[in-house]
Parts: sequence; structure tokens; C-alpha cells
Amino acid sequence: MGSQNIEIREALRQAMDEEMTRDPTVLIMGEEVAEYNGAYKVTKGMLAKWGPERIIDTPIAENGFAGIAIGAAQTGLRPIVEFMSWNFSFVAADQLISNACKAYYMSGGRFKVPIVFRGPNGAAAQVSCQHSHCVEAIYGNLPGFIVIAPSNAYDAKGLLKAAIRSNNPVIFLENELDYNDKMEIPTEEYLVPIGKAKVIREGKHITLVSYSRMLKFCREAADILAKKGIAVEIIDLRTIKPLDIATVASSVRKTHRCVLVEEGHIFAGISAELGFQIMEHCFDDLDAPLIRVCQKETPLPYSKPLERESLPNTARIVAALEEALA
Amino acid sequence: MKKARYHFFPSEPNQAIAEIGKEKLVQILKSMLLVRHFEMRGEAAYQQGKVGGFYHSYMGQEAIQAGCIAAAGTSHWFTTTYRCHALALLLGTTPNEAMAELYGKTTGVAMGRGGSMHMYSDRLLGGLAIVGGHVPIATGAALSIKYLKQKGSASFCFLGDGAVAQGAVHESFNIASLWNLPCIYVIENNQWGMGTAVSRAVRIEPIAETMAKCYEMKSYTLDGMDFFNCYAGFKDALNEVVKTSRPVLIEAVTERFRGHSISDPGLYRTKEDLAKTMERDPILLFKEVLIAHKILTVAEYEEIDKEQKTIVLDAMKFADESPFPDLMTLEQGVFAPEEK
Repeated sequence: MGSQNIEIREALRQAMDEEMTRDPTVLIMGEEVAEYNGAYKVTKGMLAKWGPERIIDTPIAENGFAGIAIGAAQTGLRPIVEFMSWNFSFVAADQLISNACKAYYMSGGRFKVPIVFRGPNGAAAQVSCQHSHCVEAIYGNLPGFIVIAPSNAYDAKGLLKAAIRSNNPVIFLENELDYNDKMEIPTEEYLVPIGKAKVIREGKHITLVSYSRMLKFCREAADILAKKGIAVEIIDLRTIKPLDIATVASSVRKTHRCVLVEEGHIFAGISAELGFQIMEHCFDDLDAPLIRVCQKETPLPYSKPLERESLPNTARIVAALEEALA
Repeated sequence: MKKARYHFFPSEPNQAIAEIGKEKLVQILKSMLLVRHFEMRGEAAYQQGKVGGFYHSYMGQEAIQAGCIAAAGTSHWFTTTYRCHALALLLGTTPNEAMAELYGKTTGVAMGRGGSMHMYSDRLLGGLAIVGGHVPIATGAALSIKYLKQKGSASFCFLGDGAVAQGAVHESFNIASLWNLPCIYVIENNQWGMGTAVSRAVRIEPIAETMAKCYEMKSYTLDGMDFFNCYAGFKDALNEVVKTSRPVLIEAVTERFRGHSISDPGLYRTKEDLAKTMERDPILLFKEVLIAHKILTVAEYEEIDKEQKTIVLDAMKFADESPFPDLMTLEQGVFAPEEK
């Protein structure tokens, strides 16, 4: 088995490149994906390799090109749509909400929509209110979507390949601040199955569930508690929907305590759903109330200290863990 | 309607009649009468409480989509609005399947999940009910045709005059023209966006002739009440698109006979104006030409009319007797099956 030490950005590129080799109906479209090599260089070099028929620069018209990609998916292609930021998907909300996730069911199973929408989600470095929203709770509320949020290069590659092969619309959430993160991954082809969470750190005293970038803070918090003799079990959801409640519930039945961490807002967020499902499955196993660590209920402000205060961080997670353990 | 400003596509019924031939002309008349009877009976079933939701009738506009299918055939992609019963029937959805869909039955064309506004066929992507929101979908089908090199095919997108004000329509026109996509956009100007006259919603008139210039597309204005004009226009438009692989924009000027939907009494339109519009009933105009050309006798017409009515009445019986979907199927088919 060969291995390579690569960034998440390169892992994503390899996933798309391999799937384009495997299936001639896979194409990429979005703003600046071709000649500019991608706003975050995820599609670097792909125009040169695949040409403008398969790596397609679009005008700044998300509602138009997202809908065009959905129509193409219904008629024989497998488009990958890059949103420069998931915040721009709101311009295309009608296409995602009224067409992508509904067409298969609404047509009585006649027209499937094999499509991946991908791009950076959530906060970056002080990009302020209109570029920082986390979209998973919004799209997670819509039956018909698969929602994936990998936290490392290995999962990013394997899950993106699985997403491209899926016959259903996938919301694939990346993180601008993590594109540079490196990891040793196999050079051989592999897939990561959709819908499987992963215990990324075993522990027996408390369960900590999160996904994507917030796991960095979860790890730091677990390190701090480890010094006090507390073994925190961390679960990376990897796929948000369908939610792998079985993996979460097994852990909670073992530790009897649980903290949920989410970059997005607290009201009707992913952790609200996750917490409720834990209550449904583990009510008698819980020794303490669940605690959520989420983004404060404001549009995400620009100023650095305000931004930092609004988002979950290591200190807030440590405090939540200690409260749940008290 | 200020028709003086329109430049209608020139057409010659005699030429079309010779081209289409007697047998097919009678078939076309049958399909138009099927649509008419389907809409009349569908509305009646709605009034009886057998059909729910909204009901948007295509009555008065039959010549447009009948002309399109007669000229272009069915081996293309088609997308239309919630006013979708006619196109489904013209593309081969059976009256039974379409009526059962209205009734919400398991034998419906979308298994009772779509209803009146979401009809399908193997070439019809919907029946989509967000005004203007289906136009990018149709444009995407044109991208597939180009990408998969399906020479000779086009994506037909029917939209209403009301959709012209939607951003999705402009984004689609721009991209289709920019990328040379074989898309035929058909604005069915039926004069009303719900209760708003087109002149109160859209600044430009004619719509297609004016807009097409902005997107460097060829445009056509068709008399939507005249089957032969629609036939000739669609035929020319398809040839143009296949030859150039460029989108075109068509405006078919028509006027619906009914309200926006069944719950609309149409108080914004006088009885006199509606009566005047109905004098140019596209089916009667078509019938008169066929009789004048001795393709059909009055008695034969009446026989066909009766036959199509019977087909629709049988479809109602089929829909009535069909079972509702099994409640166990409610949560099935939200996701397409994955390959193993």
C-alpha cells in the first residue's frame, strides 16, 4: 500500500479527477473553476487535463447554473457544482429546494438527480455576516438531500468519490480554513461509505459529537480533560444526513454523558436534532442533561474578538464537558 | 392586444396540410380534442371534490403544444409549467394515467405524488410549479443534449408571460446563448399572469422579438390560436436550433379561456372580451380548415369529438376505481436506489 501526504484540497481534486476518469458523464461547473483554477484551487489543473467541455466556468448566476446542473443530472449527466461559498447557494435556493431534492419523489421515481453540490461552508477568516453562515441545518431539513461534512483529507476524498457515484443529490460541505490541512492517505483508490460516523478517539467518561472543523477544538478540549484523568470519546459524524445515530447511541450508552458541538446556530440546528434522537434512543442511559455548544444567535460579525466569541471554541467545549460531568 | 407591433411568422396552411397529410391531421385533431375534453372533465371532477390542490386549465392554448409536437415529434426533452396536462397527454401519457394523477391514485403518472401541477412522461421533466424555476432545468437538459452529442434533439421549455419577469429566466437565456445550447424557449403569452395583465408586469412588447435581441437569439412570434402557424414556426425553429446549435426564443400569442386556476372567477376580464377571444377557438379554427379542405366532414368531426369524450369519461372511471396509494409506500422513494 502506497501513501501520500496531501492537503484536503488535493484530496478533493483527486476524488473528482478519479471519478471523471471512471465516468465520462461526470463534469464540474461553477464560478472560476476552470481558467482561474478554482477560487480555493480545488480544481487546479483540471481544465488543462479535461478541457472546457467538462470543466465549465459559469457566469455569476447561481440560480441559473445550479438549475442547469440539476436539469443535466435528470437527463444523463453527473454534474459536480462548486459553490464558491455555500452562502451563495442561497441565490440558488429555489433550484436546490424545489427541484434537486424533490424531483425523484415528485415524479414518482421517474427522474433521479445524481448531483453533488460542494464548496466551503461556515465561517472563514473574518468574512462577516453574508459569507459565514453554516447551511447544514437548512438543507438537512429537506427530505431528499444527503448532507456530508468531512473533517480530514482521507474522509474528504473517500466521501466525495462516494457522493459522485450516488444517484441522489448531495450537499458536500468543506471548510475554507481547512483546505491546507495535510494527512497521510493511501495512493490506492478507496471509498468512504456515506452514512457512517466514526469514533475518532475512544474514551469512557463522556461522549463528544461533532463534525468538520469543530473537531479540532473538540480534540483540544479532550486533551485538556485527559490531563485531569477524564477520557473523552469523540465521534466524527462525517455524514450529517442520513444520521448514523447507532454509532452515537452506542457511545452514549457506554459513557452516559454527552456534549454536542456545532459551528452553526443553536436554534433548530443539527445538534438540536441529534440531541433529540439521543433522547429517543438513550433516555434511560443518560446520567446528565445533554449540552450543546453552538454559534451564538447573531449574524456572524466581522470584528475578530466578536467573531471568536460567537463561534464554539476549546474553552466553551471544556466548560460544557465539565458541566456535563459535574 | 396590440398586434400591430408583432411580426408573426409567415405560414401557409396549404403547405402544412400537404406536408402533414390527412391521416396525421386527423390524429392531431383527436389529440387537441382529447386535451379539451380532459380539461373540461378534470374541472368537473374538481368541482365534485375528486381532485384537490390547484387546477390550471390549458383550454384555449391547445394549438401551441399540439403544433409543437406535430412539427418536432417527441424525441426531445420537454419542460413546462404547472399548466401541464396537455403536454403530458401529447407526449404519450395516457388519459388514464393523467386522470388518475389528478385523483391522487396509485395508478397516476407520478403515483399520486405530483398531482395536477406535476405531470410527467419519459420525455417530460415536469410539470414544475415555481414560476420561472423550471427554465434552468430545461436549459440543463439542453446541456445534456450538447454534451452527449444527441444531434437532432432539442430541449423545449414552455413558460408563461408571467415568468418573463423572473431572474431565473434571464440567467438561463444568457447561459444558453453563451454556451450555444439547443434550447427552444416558448413564451406562451396568454395575456394574464394570474389576475395581472401582461402589460402591468412586463415592460416590453412584443416579448420574444425584443428580448431575443439582448441575448443574440433568433426569435419567432406565433399566432397561438392558429395550429398551422404554430406548426410552421416550431418546424422552422427546430431546424434552426439543430443547424446552429443555438437557442431560440418563441412567443406564442394566445389567451386562456379559463381563469388562472379553477378558483379564479376571472373578474378582471369582461365577458365580452372573453367571448371575443373564444371566437378564435383554436380547435374550431383547425376544424374549419380541415372541413374546407375536405379532410373531414362535420359528421366525422362530431364522431371524433364523441370518441375523445368517451376516452376521457373512461379515464375518469379508471381513476375513480383505482386505489389510493398504499400508506406503507409514503416514505418510499424519497431517494433513488444506489448501485450495489
